[in-house]
Amino acid sequence: MAAASGGRRPVAVVSFAQSDMVRREELRNDVEVLQPVIVDVFEKVGLTKDEMGFVCSGSCDYLVGAPFSFVSALDAVGAWPPMRESHVEMDGAFALYEAWTQLQEDDIDTALVFSFGRSSMSELGRVLTLQLDPYYVAPLWPDPVALAALQARALIDSGRYTEADFAAVAARSRRDALNNPHAQVKGEQTAEELMGDDYVVAPLRRHALPPITDGATAIILAAGDRAAELCERPAWITGMDHRIETHSLGARDLTTSPTTRRAGEAAGVVEVGDGSGAPVGVGVDVAELHAPFAHQELILRDALGLGEAVAVNPSGGALAANGVMVAGLVRIGEAASRIMDGTAQSALAHATSGPCLQQNLVCALAAEPAGDGRR
Amino acid sequence: MTRFAESTITFPYKRSLGPVVGAFMTALTDKRILGIRNGKDILVPPMEWDPTTGAELAPDFVEVGPVGTVESWTWVPTPSVQHPLQHAFAFALIRLDGATTPLLHAVDGGSSERMVEGLRVAPRWRGTRVGRIDDIICFVMGEVPETDGGDTGAAQEPVQRMDYHASITYRNPVPAATDRAVVASRNRRLLGLRCPRCERVYAGGKGYCPVDAVELGPECEVDLPTVGTITNFAIVTPVSYPGQTETEPFVRAFVLLDGTDVVIGYSPVIELPADEVRVGQRVAAVWASPAEEHDQEGGMGGAWGSLLGWMPNGEPDIDDPDLVNRIF
Ligand SMILES: [Zn+2]
Repeated sequence: MAAASGGRRPVAVVSFAQSDMVRREELRNDVEVLQPVIVDVFEKVGLTKDEMGFVCSGSCDYLVGAPFSFVSALDAVGAWPPMRESHVEMDGAFALYEAWTQLQEDDIDTALVFSFGRSSMSELGRVLTLQLDPYYVAPLWPDPVALAALQARALIDSGRYTEADFAAVAARSRRDALNNPHAQVKGEQTAEELMGDDYVVAPLRRHALPPITDGATAIILAAGDRAAELCERPAWITGMDHRIETHSLGARDLTTSPTTRRAGEAAGVVEVGDGSGAPVGVGVDVAELHAPFAHQELILRDALGLGEAVAVNPSGGALAANGVMVAGLVRIGEAASRIMDGTAQSALAHATSGPCLQQNLVCALAAEPAGDGRR
Repeated sequence: MTRFAESTITFPYKRSLGPVVGAFMTALTDKRILGIRNGKDILVPPMEWDPTTGAELAPDFVEVGPVGTVESWTWVPTPSVQHPLQHAFAFALIRLDGATTPLLHAVDGGSSERMVEGLRVAPRWRGTRVGRIDDIICFVMGEVPETDGGDTGAAQEPVQRMDYHASITYRNPVPAATDRAVVASRNRRLLGLRCPRCERVYAGGKGYCPVDAVELGPECEVDLPTVGTITNFAIVTPVSYPGQTETEPFVRAFVLLDGTDVVIGYSPVIELPADEVRVGQRVAAVWASPAEEHDQEGGMGGAWGSLLGWMPNGEPDIDDPDLVNRIF
């Protein structure tokens, strides 16, 4: 698997757009939710789809119950004349990974990456149960909240964190989300106030769960000199990697995220200190972590060795809006935006998939390209 | 006022189990629980591959439990209809005696106050076991396994397959363009939408021009001819699968509407036997009578409304070798 972009053409995020993230898109279908986002992401850099060397999307047909729904979604982009196009049945962050590898190796200069998902069309818990081990686990129908609760209990039992720590994560996320016009769950509440919430599935109280979210997002990537032409401060991707853990939940230590740590190492933002073996985050001003459940942010912080100086999820994170197939790509867009708007020199974005942080992607971003700066 | 279409999709999977999962499931019918040896570890449930290195594991099975210890648990206060128990219960990671890794299963714990890390639990077996993980209904407190109802004994043959039926109900909003097309079909009208930019015309309630990515509203509507020519077709020989209602070979044809660029694909043909369909054949639309109209499906379903398909109109064939290329 490719890791840091040593010797290859550097690639940058040059444009990012997202819809408002809402509980229910009743009046618009996938194409109608997506289309204004695609228009927006092009307008920000004055490009059209005819200038895209590659288009890659991420979505899940099970969300709306329509086979090949990703094909009809191309109506929002415009599929004529023929273009180079690909799709992953995954979060858009993994589609971005595919576009990133193409741009480094290839003669194309730009790529459009987008993802969309309306989680409100069915019972999301049932849909997500279908991704589990079909022999040993899925017939028992443990929904994602129950599995996350098992993980949270294991984390509490490890003695590292308490329910009050989960509430503190949620309080900070909601407060930060006040500054995010697209966020869904926001508010000024203290952790102490949130501790008054009922349990949904113990030990997870209401605030420790993500909202159910409908929405769409899009990013434009550009390689080499083209990135600098299109954007005053491109967010250069200095490394990216993704790793997956076994599907056997019992064979995993749910209180840690070894694949996040390894992806972080490969992306160049985590070093494993001598002796202790504890991961240490390096060169990260801002981290956008795709932690759908509050306790998962704590697991991810530890796996990436993020210290107190790092601003975590200034957008509000997935607790403020968790579009399935969307929230991971939004993390990359939000992290890149902190570089593009000048508030950060370096950033890290993380995306996850599967039960209890099974699969993890880490994308490192910086105001300068990696290595010798060759474009 | 948005209209919603509710639909339930069922996934009737039949899964082959292979030698490792199959051995585990076969043992369940005999009320035995197997792990697999991986170096010093005993993995339960058994896996085909080392979860860390991916190395293939030899089929070296070890019987474990059936009694075990709760390592972690979560309380489910309001079960869904699919859950193993229909009253409040716990999902737990249970390390069976002799195992290195815990098994995920349900515990009938009575109340959450009684659940605790370190709790000893034993399986409650189904009386009739078929070789599925839910041959164990759940685990119960204590050291003594139970069997629910009369015990019909172990499977006579190794278990090689399992059924897994999942279903999901969707409630999707129907786009306005689709609704307008359905209403028009009730009056024997085939509605098209003309893109103001590229002039292309779309049928089937498609509310977007996929070339220009612009929305096509009511102001773009045009009436399409209901006569056309078959440009291509397929004869589908049905195989039996759940939900397949066809039993005889049937035709799906592509119809180019007269005087337009519009091709309607995958259309049924009516009063036209499969062995008589030809490229170039002239056909006319067939509409459902009001008595045949369903809420949202004619012969073609969705935005086609009352359009059932196409029937020969008696005109002579069109002889044009390029016709076969017109499938869109
Ligand atoms: Zn057009």
